[in-house]
Amino acid sequence: MGKTTNNGSKKPTVGIMYFTSCGGCQCEILTHANLLKKLVDLVEIKYFPMGSSNNTLETDFDIIFIEGSVSTDHDLELLHIARERSKILVAVGTCACFGGVQSSKNAESSLNEMLRYVYGDKIPTVVKALKPKPLKDYVKVDYELPGCPVSGKDFVLAVQYLLNGLDPFLPKMAVCYECKQAQTPCRLQASYMCVGSLSNAGCGAPCTFKGLGCYGCRGDHEDPNYKELVKLFRQKGYSDRDIYNFVKVFRGNYVREKLLPYLDLDIPLPEDEKPKEVN
Amino acid sequence: MAKKITVELLTRVEGHGAIEIVEENGKYKAFVKIFEGPRFYEYLVVGQNYINIPRIVSRICGICYVSHRTASARAIEDAFGAKIPPELELLRKLANVGAFFESHGLHIYFLALPDYFGYSSLLEMVKDYPNLVDRGFKVKNLGVEIMKVLTGKNFHGENLIPGGFANLPTKDELKKLKDQLEEIKEDLDETLQLVDSLKHPNLTTPREFQLSIYNPQGWDFYSNQLILVEKDKKTLFTKKEYEIFVHEEPVEYSMAKQSTVKGKPVLVGPLARVNIYKDQFSEETKKLISQMKTKFPSENPFHQNVARAVELIEARSLALDYIDTLLSDYPSKPHIELKPKKGRGFGVVEAPRGTLYHTYEFDENGYCTNSNIITPTAVLQTSMELDAQRLAESYSSLPLEEVKFLAERLIRSYDPCISCSVHMWSLSP
Ligand code: SF4
Ligand code: SF4
Ligand code: SF4
Repeated sequence: MGKTTNNGSKKPTVGIMYFTSCGGCQCEILTHANLLKKLVDLVEIKYFPMGSSNNTLETDFDIIFIEGSVSTDHDLELLHIARERSKILVAVGTCACFGGVQSSKNAESSLNEMLRYVYGDKIPTVVKALKPKPLKDYVKVDYELPGCPVSGKDFVLAVQYLLNGLDPFLPKMAVCYECKQAQTPCRLQASYMCVGSLSNAGCGAPCTFKGLGCYGCRGDHEDPNYKELVKLFRQKGYSDRDIYNFVKVFRGNYVREKLLPYLDLDIPLPEDEKPKEVN
Repeated sequence: MAKKITVELLTRVEGHGAIEIVEENGKYKAFVKIFEGPRFYEYLVVGQNYINIPRIVSRICGICYVSHRTASARAIEDAFGAKIPPELELLRKLANVGAFFESHGLHIYFLALPDYFGYSSLLEMVKDYPNLVDRGFKVKNLGVEIMKVLTGKNFHGENLIPGGFANLPTKDELKKLKDQLEEIKEDLDETLQLVDSLKHPNLTTPREFQLSIYNPQGWDFYSNQLILVEKDKKTLFTKKEYEIFVHEEPVEYSMAKQSTVKGKPVLVGPLARVNIYKDQFSEETKKLISQMKTKFPSENPFHQNVARAVELIEARSLALDYIDTLLSDYPSKPHIELKPKKGRGFGVVEAPRGTLYHTYEFDENGYCTNSNIITPTAVLQTSMELDAQRLAESYSSLPLEEVKFLAERLIRSYDPCISCSVHMWSLSP
């Protein structure tokens, strides 16, 4: 695993697929003119429906990049096809890595509640909705490139590494580290809500640079200290409700286990998150 | 025998959709089927503090996130009875210029052009048309650059907040944008000449209704008023009345709700805007329009591609005005303080694809209790279906494969943003 086979003169085959998402990660990729122009020489892009009208999945792939969360049976079917046919599967962006903003209420609401709120009794039948989840909940994902959107730099780097048969190396450290490097004054100290200390750096901390708190769009680094941060937020006068609201925006699929234990909030487990009873 | 034309996955559009046209006894019926997963945005914002709302709704769409952020910020300010000063309005509009460059540039070059040149993607054209491909990237990426300066990131930049901006761009940054906007003039003129000279399929769809935001001075990004054009009749109404005029309803075959005016399709977006504002454009834009082969007002949906190029010219000239004003009258502070209060607010903007509507209700502490968002693509579904029916009628003698290709191009000409359309509505009264 981790190697693209260059059997003879055959160019590696690549796919760029998207599930339920905003398209922002693909837009970010599309800003990289030089990379893309080079890429068309180096690889064969066999599947890229947002960019091309000539697509096939009836072939073996070396790498498939996927944007978006799995939110319909159609997404899931495509995911299984992608996993089966591609040597390497890369989750691109926070939707694909963690479920994204559309899962921000996953810890508190069932899919049914969400659908009813939205469509009332007239739930469309064109596709079967699923609770928005990351790819890794269903299949093995080889690499994750988080970010909302993905960092273009990470994407370029990952492509270069993978095409050379190397493991992309993306260091995991806190966004705070990037604030220090850029000498950005700490927002948390100025009493803004900021979850940069939990969050995975690599973005260059553009949000704290603009004077806002980081809301952690790139997910957690390896050793996030939720407990300590909750203590700090409380000291700054934030209510548990506000802390939960802020943190869940990008962490709907794991706030329950990681954050809720430290908050005095009673949020009942949604129907579809309860363990199924076995008789 | 009943004919059936199906495009199972629309490509070179944003999101997942299909189109099906069925013929029975000489009558055609078209269905735009949207099977993008639901994203529950109105549900996600309920219970949230207003501060978090723009960052959430931004993720409805990566292409027009600035439009969603602007609409939500305006709705929030409206609810709290706040008004940002004119200099900050200009900065906000400048960010929207970025969204238009990115979105229209992406559409014209990456999504639409390959069809006209007989390729399946723009990247495939790199060898044969290197300059054209470079120009596509240049126009689109200037939009990305403008958004980055104003919002802090290429996409989903957080700097555009309720009340204004977290931080102001520097004068130097604005000057640099000005230089780049000066520099891009030729590329935009050439873009317009190019799309005007292309052979657009013939199709005439007289519009019952066309809709846009209304500014008596002319084409603009947002306003508190709207204009509904019904043949020769013009009706002005306010953003608060939007849901009285535009009516939404779910349908079984689409994850997006369909909107109509008096039960009929309504055209929004570049073609509607150019049709409505063609006589009020800047002198530069008017001059270019007068030299074109394509004539406005137009009833051909394929001319949406030309209308986009016209809008880029106008957006550039507005952007230069904004920057000149800002450089001589630089904002004194980045934002105004907002004081939450109980009530409902409305925000209507012209997104690249058409009129976009956000409304929220808040409690006295600024927590959202209700919301509704109506996106242009949701509004356009019925127009797309009507046009597809017309197309199937007009081209019934052509082989099915060719009609299918035309139908796909037709839908593409609307530049549907399917992710936007399934953001999901609600607002329980
Ligand atoms: S990760 Fe963010 S930018 Fe990427 S598709 Fe999801 S919402 Fe859009
Ligand atoms: S602003 Fe946030 S990310 Fe930066 S140093 Fe402070 S806590 Fe860390
Ligand atoms: S600073 Fe935080 S919110 Fe901003 S891009 Fe980086 S991780 Fe995302």
